[in-house]
Amino acid sequence: MAYGIQPIPRNKVEGETVQQEIVLRITDLHTNFYTNMRCNKVLKGISLEVERGKTLCIVGESGCGKSVTAASVMQLIPDLARIESGEIVLYDNGQDIHIETLDKYGKSMSDLRGSKMAMIFQDPMSALNPVYSIGFQIIEMIRQHTKISKSRAKEKAISLLREMGISSPETRINDFPHQFSGGMRQRAMIAMAMSCEPKLLIADEPTTALDVTVQAQIFSLMEKLKREHGTAVMMITHDMGVVAEMADDVVVMYMGYIVERGTVHQVLKNSTHPYTVGLMQSIPMIGKGKKQKLQPIRGCTADPYDTNPGCPFVTRCDFSTQLCHDHMPEEVTVSGNHKVRCHNPIQKGAVDART
Amino acid sequence: MNPLQRKLNKKMDILIQRENSGQLNRKNMNRAIRRALQNKLALVGLGIFLTIIILCFFAPLFTQYDPLKINIRVALQSPSTAHVFGTDTIGRDIFSRILYGGRLSILIGFGSAVGASFLGVVIGAWAGYRGGWFDFLMLRTSELFLFFPQIILCLLLVTMVGQSVGNLLGIFIFTGWCGIFRMTRARMLSLREEEYVQALKVLGVPEPIICYKHILPNALGPVFVNITLSTAIFILQEAALSFMGLGVPLEIATWGNILNVANNLNILKVNWWIWLPVGTMISLFVLSINFIGDGLRDSTDPSQQG
Amino acid sequence: MLTYTIRRLLIIIPMLILASFLVFLGLELMPGDAVSFMADPETLANMDPARLEAVREQLGLNAPFLVRYFNWLLCVLKGDFGYSLTSGVPIKQIVFNTLPATIELSLAALLFSTILGTVLGIISALKRGQMTDNVLTIAGLLGMSVPQFFIGLMSLFIFAINLGWLPIGGRLRPGYESFIDRLPHLILPAVVLGLALTAGVMRYARSSMLDVANKDFIKTARSKGLSEWRVNFIHGFRVAMTPVAILLGLRLPTLIGGSVVIEQVFQWPGIGNEFLSAIRGQNYPMVMMIAFFMVLATMVSSFLIDLVTALLDPRVRLS
Repeated sequence: MAYGIQPIPRNKVEGETVQQEIVLRITDLHTNFYTNMRCNKVLKGISLEVERGKTLCIVGESGCGKSVTAASVMQLIPDLARIESGEIVLYDNGQDIHIETLDKYGKSMSDLRGSKMAMIFQDPMSALNPVYSIGFQIIEMIRQHTKISKSRAKEKAISLLREMGISSPETRINDFPHQFSGGMRQRAMIAMAMSCEPKLLIADEPTTALDVTVQAQIFSLMEKLKREHGTAVMMITHDMGVVAEMADDVVVMYMGYIVERGTVHQVLKNSTHPYTVGLMQSIPMIGKGKKQKLQPIRGCTADPYDTNPGCPFVTRCDFSTQLCHDHMPEEVTVSGNHKVRCHNPIQKGAVDART
Repeated sequence: MNPLQRKLNKKMDILIQRENSGQLNRKNMNRAIRRALQNKLALVGLGIFLTIIILCFFAPLFTQYDPLKINIRVALQSPSTAHVFGTDTIGRDIFSRILYGGRLSILIGFGSAVGASFLGVVIGAWAGYRGGWFDFLMLRTSELFLFFPQIILCLLLVTMVGQSVGNLLGIFIFTGWCGIFRMTRARMLSLREEEYVQALKVLGVPEPIICYKHILPNALGPVFVNITLSTAIFILQEAALSFMGLGVPLEIATWGNILNVANNLNILKVNWWIWLPVGTMISLFVLSINFIGDGLRDSTDPSQQG
Repeated sequence: MLTYTIRRLLIIIPMLILASFLVFLGLELMPGDAVSFMADPETLANMDPARLEAVREQLGLNAPFLVRYFNWLLCVLKGDFGYSLTSGVPIKQIVFNTLPATIELSLAALLFSTILGTVLGIISALKRGQMTDNVLTIAGLLGMSVPQFFIGLMSLFIFAINLGWLPIGGRLRPGYESFIDRLPHLILPAVVLGLALTAGVMRYARSSMLDVANKDFIKTARSKGLSEWRVNFIHGFRVAMTPVAILLGLRLPTLIGGSVVIEQVFQWPGIGNEFLSAIRGQNYPMVMMIAFFMVLATMVSSFLIDLVTALLDPRVRLS
């Protein structure tokens, strides 16, 4: 395959269908935002699964709905927004928790947040409260979900910081967020998120605000967490490099739909949706030199209020037909867990012939 | 679900129905209407403001009495058809005093606001542009001024230079330039880094011209809103000083001077028409200015949420 | 925290010296000179001119300006503020008799405005866009527009004269009466003095709360599973209060200046009232010394509020 990005080899053999434990399953989720007196259908039927000890990457352009997916799972969507239909089920020790039925501001939901599922955000400087010490913010979370004394909680916080790679945690625990460097801040945030051993960790573009070397450190940290704690990770990103590095499974989103999903090998090496193919082709390849032609996807994203019944990618797609204009494609299976939403999915080898 | 959420849910249901049934493109119209309604306050303010201005500056149309004419025989008369707001302790018609006095109060307020803003802008622009010792000096001076309660400073200066309308204007301007100075200086500090400034310097344009002719016009936006609000503050200040007898000399009618007699508890108790209408007039005028100023500020605020 | 305190002091002290210099300059510009100010008026009347000249020489009044300034400054620091021209009473005595009354009034007004303004501002923010919010906004604008002394006159008229609920003015002496007995005299002037500040605090608190509600760390706090109460108060309110504290520091001079007017309306025996009589009586040394004291009070309280702000918000300690 003439792509610039290769997924990093994993231990699992490709094609193997090992029965893994599913932590989160989203089925046909529809979420609407009501702003400016309009109804904006942000998520138009999302389905995905996150497995224990594995990373699912949600990738797409800005505005495709990836952050809203995460917000819907945590029920952190604004007042003038709601989950219209669909299911979000969290599997916890044999229990099925239907998140969509819980009250946004209710106690059951706030009990879930932090203890069963936790979230880290893009910019740790604005995501941490500037007037309280890191220790205060971690301890507060621990004591919200577990009944232990302040001193025990403090010990736990210190060991968490140490585990995340922050040196001299006994003194650092009393420091304020602005006294940490960017990478350390993100580590502190991860420490806070992991403090109650959540089953699911949602990471919303956690390294976009950091430079590349720090990025690598954060990723190896997250790999360690997956291995040692079995945490399921749902990572949101717009960077295919991150996908190649971190993902076990991938979900590609466009304008509120999931257009392709599968394991990282399937989606990156065997892309079938024209959008995914377009994404892969627009990334420069290391080693091919300055003269390589980048092929950006032509056109731009459509107006979110546009109510054409067909596929939203139709204006930018080189393979579109009249059917694509009239009907939104259903999800079809390419192989195993590799699914795509397209009337004319690209066959393996077809793209090679074109280039 | 609490009642607020129920209400929001209903609103969302209506919106989704509207969207689905194809009633689109109400976006633009709704925005404009909402904006106009929000400025209801500013419109009311503008109405009151203009009414009072017309009353005061076209006073002869509304009253036939001379505000200075003393007529002891009709002293302390309560409101009647002859005298709309009654008469004061020496028989002067209060309504006409309010109208003619209003001219002076408004002029002093507005004049001081414009003067102080002018001073603040000129100094602030140069200080922000050049920096150096001038900036340092002016900044420290303005800090010192800001530490002094403005009324105290005005009273001190009145003691030193004496009471008169001109003196009062001068004192207000002298004590009031600091706020605008800081605002202009701050804007200047960011604007002087723009590229066109470098270009002008390279072309050899003299510095004062760069500063005042080219950069300054870009910084003037908030200054105009500030002039409106400063007028309100200066009117209140003149009223307070005159009320204590230390502002405009007592013979001349201003809103504060009329209120001066209310210091006497007896007058306060019995002759309510001497102080109540004037005070209400001042309050209405300043209120209208604040309404307008708020409306101006809101309409330039981009963070309106739907 | 300590370094911040020291840094603030290092800024305030030169300012104070500069202010004292300006006060001395003012004194010099007034008619009369230091002899008439600093000497006891009785003795002054009985001396003959030749001796006066000798005293002037002795006191160094013919010395250069700066020397006179330093002499005066030393006197002030020792506690000798000179004598009142009209009554001959040492200024120090007058100041120390009346300063506590003004401090009591200003403190009460400050407390009242801070608490009421903050509470109303939070309510306004939580009920954004609803009737309560609109009513409070207009009430706030009213509070900023009506002249303070007019509110004072009206409240006297309504509460004291017509309804008779509260006394017409003056202040009962502490030490003779308990605080509860003195309270009715304090209520009206303190509330009226604090009304304009309350309006300002309310508007600021409201916009600050609304600002903070959109911040990322509020989202984080919610995602940690904290209760709504904790999110809004421990996280939201605490951060929102920093701008309000800064506002209070900026508005302090206005509060202290306003006390001059209010003390006049309510005949409150504070330093502001003395200031006005001194001005009317052309009692220049008194005028300048009281002015100096007011600036001193402003700087000290501003310094204290800076410390409170730094305690509230650790980021301030860096600047």
